[in-house]
Amino acid sequence: MKAFGKYISKYLLSFFVFALILLLVNLLAFALTFGGIVSREYGSASPANMLEAVAGDLSASGISEERLQELNHNRIWAMLLDAGGRCIWEVSLPEEIPTQYTIQDVAVFSKGYLQDYPVFVRNIDKGLLVLGYPKDSFMKLTGNYFPIRAIRIFPLFVTGILAIDILLLFLVYYFSKRNIAKNTEPIMASIKTLSTGKPVDLSIRGELSEIADSVSQASQVLSRQNQARANWISGVSHDIRTPLSMIMGYAQRIVKDHEASGNIQQEAEIIRAQSAKIKDLIQDLNLVSQLEYEMQPLHKEQVRLSKLLRSYGADLLNAGIGEKYSAEVKISPEAETAVIDCDARLLSRAIGNLVQNSINHNPQGCDIFLSLVCSLEDVSITVADNGVGMSAEKLRELEEKPHYMESIDERLDLRHGLGLLLVRQIVEAHGGTMKIESASQSGYKTILIFQRPHRRR
Amino acid sequence: MDHSFLHSKKLLLVDDEPELLKMVSAILADEGFSCLVTAANMKEGIAAAKAEKPDLAILDVMLPDGDGFFLMEQMRTWTDIPVIFLTARDEAADKLAGLGLGADDYIAKPFLPQEFLLRVYAVLRRCYKEDTTVLKLDSCTVDFSRAEVDRSGKILPLTAMEHRLLETLAKNEGRIVTVDTLCEALWGDNPFGYENSLNAHVRRVREKIEADPSKPVSLLTVKGLGYKLLARK
Repeated sequence: MKAFGKYISKYLLSFFVFALILLLVNLLAFALTFGGIVSREYGSASPANMLEAVAGDLSASGISEERLQELNHNRIWAMLLDAGGRCIWEVSLPEEIPTQYTIQDVAVFSKGYLQDYPVFVRNIDKGLLVLGYPKDSFMKLTGNYFPIRAIRIFPLFVTGILAIDILLLFLVYYFSKRNIAKNTEPIMASIKTLSTGKPVDLSIRGELSEIADSVSQASQVLSRQNQARANWISGVSHDIRTPLSMIMGYAQRIVKDHEASGNIQQEAEIIRAQSAKIKDLIQDLNLVSQLEYEMQPLHKEQVRLSKLLRSYGADLLNAGIGEKYSAEVKISPEAETAVIDCDARLLSRAIGNLVQNSINHNPQGCDIFLSLVCSLEDVSITVADNGVGMSAEKLRELEEKPHYMESIDERLDLRHGLGLLLVRQIVEAHGGTMKIESASQSGYKTILIFQRPHRRR
Repeated sequence: MDHSFLHSKKLLLVDDEPELLKMVSAILADEGFSCLVTAANMKEGIAAAKAEKPDLAILDVMLPDGDGFFLMEQMRTWTDIPVIFLTARDEAADKLAGLGLGADDYIAKPFLPQEFLLRVYAVLRRCYKEDTTVLKLDSCTVDFSRAEVDRSGKILPLTAMEHRLLETLAKNEGRIVTVDTLCEALWGDNPFGYENSLNAHVRRVREKIEADPSKPVSLLTVKGLGYKLLARK
C-alpha cells in the first residue's frame, strides 16, 4: 500500500484536475457542434413552432401571405384533413401526395413519413393539420418509446459510466506511473553506484532502455579509464623493475667488495638503501592502484592470525632488521585460535608496511611490538614502536589531508608515501578499520581491527 | 649452516635481459656457485636444460618467444628439477599460476641479492640433502642418518619426534622457525593446542644436545615466535 501511495501521491491532484478539464472540454465541444444546428432547427421553422403558427393563422380564407411565404421559403407543404380523411385545404402539396386518407393511413404517417417526406401533425378544430418538410431534412424516430424504468435509471447510468471512465483513466495513469517508477529505480541505483566509481551493468527494457544503455556506457567508459590507469601504472612499474634489480644488485656487490675503498662502499650502501625505497614504492604503487580500482582480486581463505603474525615476525627477524631495532610478537592466549577470512598475502603486506614505517621513521633505532588480541566480536593486530612518535598536529594532518593518489586538485600540501595508504586500503578491503595512536616522543601505534566471523551455534 | 656443498650444483638461468643475466651470474659466482648456464629465450632454455642437465632452473616469466610457465611445463616432461621464477610481474594471479604448476618459489623483481640467494639456498636445501647428515652443535654432534646424538663419545638415541624436530630446525639452521611450522612438521596440518607437547619435546631435545639444558646455546627460544638452532661456529 505504501508503494501504491508513493506511485500516485504527487500527481493525484493534477490527475483529477485533468479529468475534470477533459469532461468540460467534451461538454464544450458538444455544445459548440450541436448548438448551431439545434438553435436553427428548433427556431421559428421548427415543426412545433410552424405547426403552432399555421394553426393559429389558419382561417376559412386560408393562411396569411406572410405565413405562405414562410412555408415556401422553407419548402414546407401543408394540408388540412377533415374527419373523413379528405384534404380540404392545402399549400404547395406535391403531386405524389394523395388527397384522400383512411384512418390507417393517418395512424401510420402521423408517426413517420408520408412518401418519404417527414410529416408533423396537429389536431385543430377544423381537422388534422399536416405539415410536410423537405425529404431528408428530419429523421423521425418511429419507435420512440422507452420503458419508464430505463428512463429512471438513466441519470444513475450516466453517473456510473462517468465513474467507470474515471476509474479506468486512473488505472492507466497508475500503471504507467508504476512502470516508470519500476524502470527508473534501477537507473537511479546504478547512477548512485556509478558516482562511487564502481562499475555497473544495467539492462532494462521499455521506453527507458536508452537511458539505461547510456548509464551502462558511461560506466564502461569509467571502467576503461580506470583499467587504463591501472595498466599504465602497472606497465611503468614493470619497466622499472628490471633496471632497479640491476642497480640494487651491483650496489650490493660494491658494498661487499673488499677491494673497494670504505668511502665507495658507503656510497654504494646509500645507493642500495635508496633503491630499496624505490622498490617498496613501486610494489606499493602497483598494489594501491589495483586495490583502488578494485582490480586486485582478494584471495580470501580462513587464516589463523596467530600463525600469520608469527610467520611474519620470523621472516622479519630471519631477513635481519639491523642491530638498532628489535621486534617482539605477543599473542594473547584467547587470540591464539582466532581465524578470519582474509587474503594472507595482503595482510602480511599491511603489517610489513607498518613495521617498515616504524623502521624508516626511527633511524636511531627502536623496539617494535606486534601483538594480537581478540574479543568476542573482533580481533585486532597492533603494530607499535617506542620511537619518536608523532605530534598531535602531524597526526591530525595524517588523518585529514588527502593523499596525492586520491586528490583531484593541485594542492601542494598533499600527503605522500604510499605505505599507510596501502595499509588502509587492505584493511578496508577486508571490512576492517584502522586506528592510529601517537604522541611526540612516545612511540607510534597502529591498530588494525577486523570483525570476527559469527560462530554458528 | 654450511652451504658450500650446494655450490657444486648446476644452475640454469633464463632471462631475455643480458645485463640482468650478467648480474645474477656475478652474484651467484661471488657466492661460490661455479656451474652456471645461461639462456636468453625459451628455445635456448629448453636446449640448455636438455644438454646441461641443471640442478635448478631460474626462469624469467616473460620471454621473447613464450612465457616461463610454458618453459617449465616443457621441462617437466622429462625432469623434475626445482624451478624458481624471477619476474617483473608481481600480480597475485601470476604467483598462483607459477606455484600451482609446481614451481618451488617465485621472486619478484626488483630483488635484493641477499634475498635472492636466500631463496636459492632454501630451494636447493629442500631438494638436495647434504651428503653428510651430521650436524655439529656447540656441545655435541647430531647424526641424522642414525638418529643419534654424540656428546664426546656418549651416544644418546633420538626418538622419531625429536629427530623430526631437530631435522626441521637444522634445515633452517640459524633462522627462526615458528611454533606453527614445527607443530605442522610434527603433527601434520592445522595442529591446534600442541604448543605444550612441543615444549616438552624441545625440553627433552635440549637435555640431549645442550651442556646446560636450562641455559641453551644451540636450541634457542625466540619469545613469541618459535625456536632457532645454531650450529657450532
